[in-house]
Order: sequence, then C-alpha cells, then structure tokens
Amino acid sequence: MATAGAAGTSGRTYSFKVVLLGEGCVGKTSLVLRYCENKFNDKHITTLQASFLTKKLNITGKRVNLAIWDTAGQERFHALGPIYYRDSNGAILVYDITDEDSFQKVKNWVKELRKMLGNEICLCIVGNKIDLDKDRHVSVEDAESYAESVGAKHYHTSAKLNKGIEELFLDLCKRMMETAQAEERAKGNGASQSASNRRGVQIVDDEPQATPAGGCCSSG
Amino acid sequence: MSQRTERRGIHVDQSDLLCKKGCGYYGNAAWQGLCSKCWREEYQRVRQKQIQDDWALCARLNFEEKKTNEKTRKVTTVKKFFSPSSRTATKKEPPEGKSASPSISRRASFDSDQVSKDFVEFLKNLHKPGREIHKQCRAFLVSMSSKKDLGADELSECVQDFYQSLADRLMSHFKGSSESVDQVMDQVEKYIMTRLYKSVFCPETTDDEKKDLATQDRIRALHWVTVQMLCVSVEEETAEVSENVVRAITDIIEMDSKRVPRDKLACITRCSKHIFSAIRITKNEPASADDFLPALIYIVLKANPPRLQSNIQYITRFCNPSRLMTGEDGYYFTNLCCAVAFIEKLDAQSLNLSQDEFERHMSGHASPRRSGSEDGRPDGGPRVSGAAGPVLARLSHNLQMLSGLSARQEAVTAAALGLRADLLTWTDGVRRDVRHILDRYPLDTKASKASAIDANSVDGENLPAPIKPRMFVG
Repeated sequence: MATAGAAGTSGRTYSFKVVLLGEGCVGKTSLVLRYCENKFNDKHITTLQASFLTKKLNITGKRVNLAIWDTAGQERFHALGPIYYRDSNGAILVYDITDEDSFQKVKNWVKELRKMLGNEICLCIVGNKIDLDKDRHVSVEDAESYAESVGAKHYHTSAKLNKGIEELFLDLCKRMMETAQAEERAKGNGASQSASNRRGVQIVDDEPQATPAGGCCSSG
Repeated sequence: MSQRTERRGIHVDQSDLLCKKGCGYYGNAAWQGLCSKCWREEYQRVRQKQIQDDWALCARLNFEEKKTNEKTRKVTTVKKFFSPSSRTATKKEPPEGKSASPSISRRASFDSDQVSKDFVEFLKNLHKPGREIHKQCRAFLVSMSSKKDLGADELSECVQDFYQSLADRLMSHFKGSSESVDQVMDQVEKYIMTRLYKSVFCPETTDDEKKDLATQDRIRALHWVTVQMLCVSVEEETAEVSENVVRAITDIIEMDSKRVPRDKLACITRCSKHIFSAIRITKNEPASADDFLPALIYIVLKANPPRLQSNIQYITRFCNPSRLMTGEDGYYFTNLCCAVAFIEKLDAQSLNLSQDEFERHMSGHASPRRSGSEDGRPDGGPRVSGAAGPVLARLSHNLQMLSGLSARQEAVTAAALGLRADLLTWTDGVRRDVRHILDRYPLDTKASKASAIDANSVDGENLPAPIKPRMFVG
C-alpha cells in the first residue's frame, strides 16, 4: 500500500497523501485546521498538532482516506522538500494574496515538483486570505493563467471566513481518484511500467533555477 | 498490482545511474552517486584519521562484538539476487578474536524465543492460515540465513518482497479487510525482524557504521546551537516544557534499543508527541510543521541518538511499507530524516549567523553563552542562560548549593577549631587555677597514726571487761 492511491478492487479504500507547501505565514496551518476541525484561531482547538492530519471522505460511494502532511515553510528548510513530497498523490501550494513573494515561492515549488514527480501529482494552487482582498498584491488573472499553464487548478480560499476550502479538498480528491484509476487501467494494460517507478529521492541544494523545463512557466 | 510500483517509495530506484567515477558499477544516491567501492575509498581517504580516533570509542560501545558475530557467519557461496549492481565487494579482514560474551547471546535468544512464542500464540487464533503463515515465515528465515553475504539492499529487497507477497495473499484471504492484514503483518514483521536483527542491522557490507560516527561527530561539533538560532518556539524555563523536552530526548535515544522497525518508529512517534506537547504549552496553539521541524532538529542535536543513521537505514530497509509510507508514524519518520539531512548540511545561513561567527562557534572560540549577547538580541541577557538548557540551569543551581555547603562546612570547621582552642585554654585555665589554689593553701598532710580497729572507740572503757574463758571441770 505504499502508493495506496493505486488501491485496486472496487471495495478497497483509497488512501492519498497530500503535501502542503508554501512559505511560512501564508496560512497553511489555518487552512487544514479549518478543513479538519472547522476551527480558526480558536483557543479551544483540542488537537495537539496541526502538522499531520487525516480526514475520511466518501466520494461517489468510494471511501477515501486523506493524509495531509504539513511542511516547514521556512526558506532554510526548502532543500528538504523532496523528502516530504515523495510519493504524494497531491500537493497544495498555498500563497498569500497580499504577498507577491509567496506567489513567487509557489512558482518555484511547481517547477520543482513537475521536475521531480512529473505529471502524476495533482497540483492545487491556492490563494489564501481572500478576506483581505483590499490588500491584494497578486492579481486573479495572473494567478489563474499561471495555474492553467502548468496544469494546476487554482482556488481562492479564506480560512478565516471558511470559504473555498471544502471545494478545494473535494476537487483535489476527485482528481486524485481519477489519476489513480487511470494509473490502474494503464497498469492493467501493462503499458506504463517504467513511467511510474522513477521516483527517486534527490535533495536539491539550490533553487531550481537551472531547470531547463521551465519554459511553460514564463507566462506567469 | 505491480510489486515494483507498490514499493517505489521505499526503494530509491536509481539503478540507472552509474558510478560517478566511471568504474562501471552502479552508483547509489546514499553514496553520493558513487558505487560502494569508490565511495568507500573516497570516504576512507577523507575520514581515515577521525575514524581511527573514534574506533577506540566504538570498541567500548560494543561495536566490536557485533562485528565479530557477523564476520564469523560468512557464507562462501553467494547467489546474486535481482540486480547484481550494488553488490559490495568488501575486503574481508581476518576475523578478530571471538569475544562474544555468553550472557548477551543468551539474552538475545531468550528474546527471540519469547517473540516466537508470542507469534505462535497469535497465529493460533487464525487456525489454518495461521499455520500456513508460520510455515512461510520459517521458510523465509531459513532462506535468509543462507543469504547473509548479500548487500543490504538485496536483503532489503528480499524482506520487502516477502512482505509484499504475504500481504497480497492475506489480502485475498481476509477479502480486503486491510485492518486484519495490517494486524497480521505487524506480527510477522515483529517475528522476522527480531530474528534477523543481528545480521541485518548496520551490516558490514554498508557504510552505516561510518555514517553513524560521522553524524555523531557532527552533532557533537554543533553542541553550541541554541533554541534561538533554530527559532524553536519552546520555552525551556517552564518546568512542564522542559520535562517534555527531556522525555522527547529519552524517547529518541531509546529507539536504538528496539529491534523491530515498528517499535523504533513508535519511539520516534512518542518523541514527536512530547515535542508537540512542549510547543503546545509554549505557544498555546496546535503545532504546525513550521514549529515542529526546528524543535525536532533541536531535540536530535541535544540527544545525539546512538547509531542514528543505522537506525534510519534499518527502518527504511526493513519496515513494512504500509506503515512507513502512510500514516502518522511515516510522517514523523520523514521529519526525522529531514532533521538529519538538515543537520548534515547545516551552515551559517541556516542558523542566521554570519560565516565568521559560525566558524568561531565550530572551532570552539565562541561559547553559546556569549553568542546570545553577540547576536544583539533584545532578549539576550537573562534568556541566554535558559537557552543553554535546563541542564545547565540545574548544574549552576547545584554548584550554588555546593558552594553554600562548602561555606557552611568551613564555618563548622572554624567553629570546631575555636572550640578546640577554647577547650585547651579552659583545661589550662583550670590547671592554673588549681595550682594557684594549691599554692595558696598548701596541703599539710598530718601523718596518720597507726591505730587498732577500735582505737577511736571512745566508749571502750565503759564496756564491761571482756569475758574470760573459764574452764569447768566437772
């Protein structure tokens, strides 16, 4: 069950690993706490931690176990990313709509993820804190067209107002299920044996600037 | 379900990368892209000196014994399995004198006996499939005992394949109830790995041991790193927090004493939970990964867990992947790997220090106490002593008590000396006084006259004359 996304027979449960990436202070933690506990900046949050959370879902009659892995967003931990995101089925890349820099970080993450994991991973780019729309520094058009250009979906959320979060996770789950099913079918045909097992772990030291595959990202 | 895809997360499949030195063998990411042989040479060249220094230390830490055990168990005929790639060509040194202490081996066999008893007990509940599982495990162990000479990666492949095929069969037996499968797999893992532990933990064919020592040295060299430098949100002055920190350190150290990968994982998880409690108490909100990872790094630096790399490799190679890849344990384990990777690569920038300052710390010219004030942090003064940890605080407290004690002892000694002097002067005084009195009133001794017993009886005369004996002759 290492990549339990590939859970086969119909009765089985899908298990997905989703990583949360993004700079510190963009609200990754608030986002998951809102989703899993439906609480925001609440003094009564009972959970000890918000770095690993699980959620059980039932989507079109299929059971889905979602494991959400928070990652440390500080710049100094950037190089550790690959250790976190290997074997994840989905990635949620969060930026703060009032912070241009955090959007730039998301772009870096996208490049890195595509380079390391290819197209198997479902990407969601999330502009958080839409309750602060008056201070917006990342334009909606820019963000959405960028997301489209890299094959990611874009969402607007507010953990404070509980907006867009359910949709984000539900959508992501559906996409991951489709990917998993497609993978199964391909495997059934014996077609893609080699494509899927190239997931090695490599620690990247530098910013992934040197990626020549970045052509698609220039539109942003 | 293809086996290769199933396990892709555990096995770093980079067999398509040749050794960077171009010797024709395959390289391995764990050896910086070199093959085992080139890596060994490269590594030894650099670290030779240091390793020798450490050798004396490991001798004391029982490394020696483990090595002898492994060396005597070499099997000469080797069947290569799967890829012939990373098979390591180790130069075998002549086995050293056998010194395995009988008490340890006896304890070990007792452990495994207990485990097999538990295992059989557990399988009894499963009736017929239970016997089947037991038979397969036994057969697998026998087959493993003939493969002791294989490289660690091949051994790992064997164990993982066994897990995989058994899990698949169990899955069809339990008709897809993954909980029952997991339950059985846990027991199988416990049984198999307890038996295999000695031969596959930190095997001689790998450089795990050297990496252990390197990491240990590295952590030792970084003893000066403070909570502030790592931006850890843990207030160690609070008693409750420091208690949690101590527990976390104990747990991560305890990991080395466990044999089953899953038990080792459980230690990591317990450690993480204590860290979360510490953060929770400090910040009064649930800990995010932003808080957790720095805290874990801090704990690892403080604990310097024994044989850290070996343990991580062992878990990676032999843990049941369903545990490792999904679920909470896997998350904490991943964080531990991150912490170790961070510590290995840690530099001035990652601690917000200048290169110069970092160098000074590394060379031991600057002490952690001074660093706080050098940083010019507003909260530098009183916090710095706290930053050095509760241990130092306790130490200084103890020192204070000790110096108080010695002061009091000195006072007691002085008082005792005074008393002795007083006593001496007092006896002298008494003697003098007595002599003085004697001198003043000289004792005139009257010579005593010898007298009869009744000499002083005044009434003697009044008594009747003594009766004289008379004779009556009749």
